[in-house]
Amino acid sequence: MALFAVVQAAFLLTLLSFRTYQSEVLSEPLPWTPESLEVSINSAQQCLYLQWRVHNLTHHQELKMVFQIEISRIETSNVIWVENYSIPVTWNQVLHWSWESKLPLECVTHFVRIRSLVADASIPEPRFWSNWSSWEEVDAQKSLGQDPLFVFPKDKLVEEGSNVTICYVSRSPESNISCAMEDVPIHGKRLSPNVSVFILNDVRFIRETGTNIYCLNPSNMSGIILYVSKVLEEPKDFSCETQDLKSLNCTWDPGHDTTLRHQSSQRYTLFESFSGKTKLCEHKKWCHWQVAPDSQETYNLTLTAENQLRRRSVSILFNLTHRVHPMKPFNVFLKSISATNATMTWKVHPVGNYSTLLCQVALHGEGKVIQQHNVSVKVKSQYFLSELEPVTEYVTRVRCAAANHFWKWSEWIGQTFTTLEAAPSEAPDVWRNVKSVLGSHIVTLFWRPLSKSHAHGKILFYNVVIENLDKPSSVKLLSIPAPANGTELTLDQCSYQIHVTANNSVGTSPASIIVISRDPGNKNVEEGRIQGTEDGFSLSWKPQSGDVIGYVVDWYPQDPRCQLQWKNLDPNTTSTVIRSDAFRPGIRYNFRIYEISTERIAYLLEKKTGYAQELAPSENPQVAVSNLTSHSFSLSWKDYSTDSQSSFIQGYHVYLKPKEEQCHPGFEKVVLSDDSVCCQYKIDNPEQKTFVVENLQPESFYEFLVTPYTSVGEGPHDAFTKVTIPDEYSHVLIRIILPMIFCLLLLMVLCYLTSQWMKEKCYPDIPDPYKSSVLSLIKYKENHHPTIMNVNDCVPDAIEVVNKLEGSKIQFLGARKSLTEMEFTKPAYLYLLPTENYSGPGPCICFENFTYNQAASDSGSCGHVPVLLKTPPSQLALLTSPENLLKTLEQNYVNSSGGSPAGETSLNYVSQLASHMSGDKDSLPTNPPGPALCSEYRTQMAVSLGLASPSPSENSSLSSVTLLDQGEPRR
Amino acid sequence: MDFRAGDSWGMLACLCTVLWHLPAVPALNRTGDPGPGPSIQKTYDLTRYLEHQLRSLAGTYLNYLGPPFNEPDFNPPRLGAETLPRATVNLEVWRSLNDKLRLTQNYEAYSHLLCHLRGLNRQAAAAELRRSLAHFCTSVQGLLGSIAGVMAALGYPLPQPLPGTEPTWAPGPAHSDFLQKMDDFWLLKELQTWLWRSAKDFNRLKKKIQPPAAAVTLHLEAHGF
Repeated sequence: MALFAVVQAAFLLTLLSFRTYQSEVLSEPLPWTPESLEVSINSAQQCLYLQWRVHNLTHHQELKMVFQIEISRIETSNVIWVENYSIPVTWNQVLHWSWESKLPLECVTHFVRIRSLVADASIPEPRFWSNWSSWEEVDAQKSLGQDPLFVFPKDKLVEEGSNVTICYVSRSPESNISCAMEDVPIHGKRLSPNVSVFILNDVRFIRETGTNIYCLNPSNMSGIILYVSKVLEEPKDFSCETQDLKSLNCTWDPGHDTTLRHQSSQRYTLFESFSGKTKLCEHKKWCHWQVAPDSQETYNLTLTAENQLRRRSVSILFNLTHRVHPMKPFNVFLKSISATNATMTWKVHPVGNYSTLLCQVALHGEGKVIQQHNVSVKVKSQYFLSELEPVTEYVTRVRCAAANHFWKWSEWIGQTFTTLEAAPSEAPDVWRNVKSVLGSHIVTLFWRPLSKSHAHGKILFYNVVIENLDKPSSVKLLSIPAPANGTELTLDQCSYQIHVTANNSVGTSPASIIVISRDPGNKNVEEGRIQGTEDGFSLSWKPQSGDVIGYVVDWYPQDPRCQLQWKNLDPNTTSTVIRSDAFRPGIRYNFRIYEISTERIAYLLEKKTGYAQELAPSENPQVAVSNLTSHSFSLSWKDYSTDSQSSFIQGYHVYLKPKEEQCHPGFEKVVLSDDSVCCQYKIDNPEQKTFVVENLQPESFYEFLVTPYTSVGEGPHDAFTKVTIPDEYSHVLIRIILPMIFCLLLLMVLCYLTSQWMKEKCYPDIPDPYKSSVLSLIKYKENHHPTIMNVNDCVPDAIEVVNKLEGSKIQFLGARKSLTEMEFTKPAYLYLLPTENYSGPGPCICFENFTYNQAASDSGSCGHVPVLLKTPPSQLALLTSPENLLKTLEQNYVNSSGGSPAGETSLNYVSQLASHMSGDKDSLPTNPPGPALCSEYRTQMAVSLGLASPSPSENSSLSSVTLLDQGEPRR
Repeated sequence: MDFRAGDSWGMLACLCTVLWHLPAVPALNRTGDPGPGPSIQKTYDLTRYLEHQLRSLAGTYLNYLGPPFNEPDFNPPRLGAETLPRATVNLEVWRSLNDKLRLTQNYEAYSHLLCHLRGLNRQAAAAELRRSLAHFCTSVQGLLGSIAGVMAALGYPLPQPLPGTEPTWAPGPAHSDFLQKMDDFWLLKELQTWLWRSAKDFNRLKKKIQPPAAAVTLHLEAHGF
């Protein structure tokens, strides 16, 4: 900038000095001065348009002139642009010049002046610049409206990567105007108090509705849309071709779409230089060009892409006939389809006069191209497809191209067809397994299903023809429907020839022949072991007889559910590797090698057995413990099958957890995987399945484990079995203790038997007076009440009221019904002790002893003891009447909620003997008992009135008492 | 079950509400002519549906315009957009409007807004946006028809467009493209305000026509873009 300023200053100085010189040399002004200068603004394009005339030119005079134009900004001294514009000028010509401003013209005032110089050769030198015109001021702001804020330029269109200058113009010098592009604030340079300028570098396309740039202050807002277009690209892959020589179809890749809203989109034009024709394309990616009927062969087509900012072109030159891209053929049919042949026909669209096309026929089977042929075609063609497989689905396709000048193949068109069935071409692969049972041969035949390429259709059944070689006339035919893959035959000891054929709907396959000899062959073949590898089992054998037609190796896994497999081998083979995906690790496979004689008899050569991969045993044998003594026990696992394990069993390890530091003889100390120490005994013979553990300590327990070991490891060290060793003397002790126990029991029985005698001797029973022999004597003498003691001398001092109920068992609790059913036909016992006029012969004798306590009564749960009701006389009548008593009892039952009977806690003396009567239900007295009944001798005991209650509580008893004391029965 | 005093009052209130609404139950209304009530209800429902539809459409369209138009707090001074009918009105003025005037203003507003919406649709370049706008225009057309139906049911004549004042959409940049975007912004904003106002208008009308059934007042809120 500084350099520019210096140059500018120097230029001005030079100009000034030149003018001074000019004014000195030419006193008169030059005649060809620019006049009538008019300056206008194109806001959309931000251009200044100048127009002027040059006067004083004569008619037909044309002068080559140079016009120097100066443009200043803001003030005249601030010259920003100086340009010399050379143009031949004629009479009365209006001259135009435009200048595009980077700063929007509305932002600031511009000034323009112009001067001229005649540079025509007809005018002799020296040549001088004319005087400057006066400055023309261009102030776009004057034409703006009254809005307080403006942003310029409005709706400008630029390309991506451009630098754009914008400005805002405010009507009032405000400082709080902020501007933003989209949502990002932008900061500019203040040109004047009202104008700020922002320079946006390398603007990018954001959206088709343009980039929003706006300025705002608290009360106003103004903005513009800056349309940033992607750069228009040159069309790529421009190419034209014809299908029918009548029209050209041109395609290209347009690249970026430069379409913007409110802006005209990019457009494409085709121009053909030879014919001079132009066509505006309707689409952005392709265009049709109509071929002229004048058989123009060569075309030079130019594709022009154009938008408001840029123009791009691309051209191609080609011969029309070299750009033929035929339409795809049609009417594709297949006819005369047989098992192995078919004929394909199709038609092609004619291509002008060049109707010879090259067509390519491709035959696909199972997704692959099987055959491919080229055919020259005019209009209609056919191709004979041969060497097809029966019953196979094929896809045949055809496409065509120009035969003379190949350009492009047409699209494929195809048809699917399936060939017909044919008789099976191969004999089924048959093998057998022979078992001799009770003088007959059980022959199991196996055959593999024919492959699709050999079956030639769906196999419907297999025919098995059994021919007795010893009796040639005996032939038996079995027809076994598919999809069976074997059958079982029971044959006698004769030799048989078996033919097996597969049949489909068309025919029969060749026969597969097997001969079963009457001689079962070598049975004494020993079984050898082989080790499988990842590749399979490698087998080799020695041929026994030279005259063989082949060998067969068959194998089957130990699992009987799996089927026999076999492999046929050439007669020259003596070894093979048996591979199969079915081989599984840990499964034993048995192999047999047969040689097939020329008579088609199979002779067993060798037997092998092995594992594809041995696995360590996963289970231990189930061991039974027997012969347990104080020093030894026996282990047995005879049910353990060594053949059906996951590897060859080499022997067994017997582990015994040691009780002492030392192991038993024969055992050796080993450390197990869990770091525990065990004693191990090794059994080398896999068939030895018993072991005796000896030298054990009596009266202790041992833990043992039996696990098989193989070349790949031993079985799991899971749970050890515990064995408790019995005591050495236990059998002796048993012999002693049992008799002792017996003796003791005998002694106890004796003691029990003699106890009665002891009782009689040591503490005899108190004699029962009633049972006394004296009584019997008295009974005979007089019929007197059997009373021993005469109590007439007793002085009564108490009243005993005995209310003897039915059976004297007052089971109120839970026996309410029985209570209600009781009959109280007679009043309860009510004896008044002798009064003065009492003269009864047998007064009741009662002893009242207050020394007995409640506890004693509780302990004697004698429900049968008669209840003694101590009630006032006034209430006695009520109670003694059956109804009243029943009611009272019911009320007590209900109110006491526990069945507590009415009673009192006072203690009365009751003879034990009374219970003898009252305890007897059946002897319920119907008459009031005589006094003698009460005078029996009784052992003293305390009886609570509340005894009838099984669980009398204090409260319930009290409530009962209260009830009874109320004096009136409840109704 | 534990019934407290509050629950009892709640049940009582619920019972009263049910009894209060019984006349509104269609099965209990045995009158032959349903009157303008159902059409008012349908119009109200349509305004609510359009509010919902506009919320989605405005989001898409304002993103199409770009910032600052799609910023949630963008509230520019109303530059241009003078021809758009203003939905904002003083509350007292709004309350003082009678039914006929209320419906007439609604009808006129949507007539103008529909015209501008069609112009918006013509300018949109994105196909998906054009489809959404076309669908919305159809819905607004339906609302206009619905308002016309209510007015007919109430016996009010449809407003006749004055000659020369028929709303037209002039294609091409009448002013700068920024102001055009601003117009689009204000169109969507006015539409939203009008739909909000219409919902209130028809709710009020609904209550007036069906006083027993209109016990439930709806609380409407204007949602910003």
